[in-house]
Amino acid sequence: MTSKKEVESMNSDSALVMSIGTGDKTAFRVLVERHKKTAYGMALGLVGNRDDAFDISQEAFLRVYRSAKSFDHKQPFLPWFYTIIANLSRTWLRRRSSRDHRMVDLDEAASFLVSDDNPEEAVIHDQQVTRLRQALLQLSFADREIIVLQHFRNLPYDEIAKLLEIPRGTVMSRLYYARKRLAKLMGSHDG
Amino acid sequence: MMDEQYRELLAGYVDGELTDLEKLDFERELSHSAELRAELQEFMQLKEVTNTMRYADIPDAVWDSYWESLYKKTERGLGWIFFSVGAILVLAFGLYQAFHQLFTDPNAPLWLKIGLPMATLGLGILLVSYVRERIFAWRRERYSEVEK
Repeated sequence: MTSKKEVESMNSDSALVMSIGTGDKTAFRVLVERHKKTAYGMALGLVGNRDDAFDISQEAFLRVYRSAKSFDHKQPFLPWFYTIIANLSRTWLRRRSSRDHRMVDLDEAASFLVSDDNPEEAVIHDQQVTRLRQALLQLSFADREIIVLQHFRNLPYDEIAKLLEIPRGTVMSRLYYARKRLAKLMGSHDG
Repeated sequence: MMDEQYRELLAGYVDGELTDLEKLDFERELSHSAELRAELQEFMQLKEVTNTMRYADIPDAVWDSYWESLYKKTERGLGWIFFSVGAILVLAFGLYQAFHQLFTDPNAPLWLKIGLPMATLGLGILLVSYVRERIFAWRRERYSEVEK
């Protein structure tokens, strides 16, 4: 078993996943502590529900734990991990829409975004914020994904390109169309 | 009609992601395209709105217990596999024995030969349905223990 100190000295995620593949739970813990908030944040952006984002993030880590041996250590960890989260989120959204439509009601969805404004400004922006929340939930998975990564995870294009394994030009193109649709949906919620 | 190239550049311009050369090219096009200027304004407004927002975090208490909860799941997963395989084997053998005896017994009444398998099947369906409902309810109630 690798000691915690030794594990912490291994900076790369890939090295941690390699240790996890040998059954090293300390390495697994280091990886979890390092990425738990990112995993949760990504899932939250995709499914728009705190409880489910929490479950998806944990399930994603469990999948890493179970399939660490088959991970190609020459590849970067985060795109692989993001693919797991995105696939789990897609599956979860499919199940949710076929299981219970009440779960996507706007009251629940409204709890996942908050404004950074001070109280007075928050009141002024309230309508706009509500429209954005509603519009985000109506976007397709692919559109929401690119919007969340750029607008709410604040990732530069190069990182988005690596994460989604697409060229930088495609990132720009997808962002353009996703924003057009988002702006249109926000417009349709006017009044 | 706007060129596809400028659509891509428009996204990059809004996010400050263009190279100097791309920026120059885009601004040149911007100076004589009203359509591009209108879209730029629309995107800038959108960006302004999203910049004032962020995702709400979950309570610290939940983060503190994140690892413990995940660790239990890794153990539980192995436990469930052993338990499930063992239970299925024992149950399948028990049912096989029971039904074998029932159907090979010429004195067993027909209503029992029909009723018992139906009752077993129904019980199985109810059990699966109940377990699914409990799992679903447990997920919905996760934050009930966290002080708001």
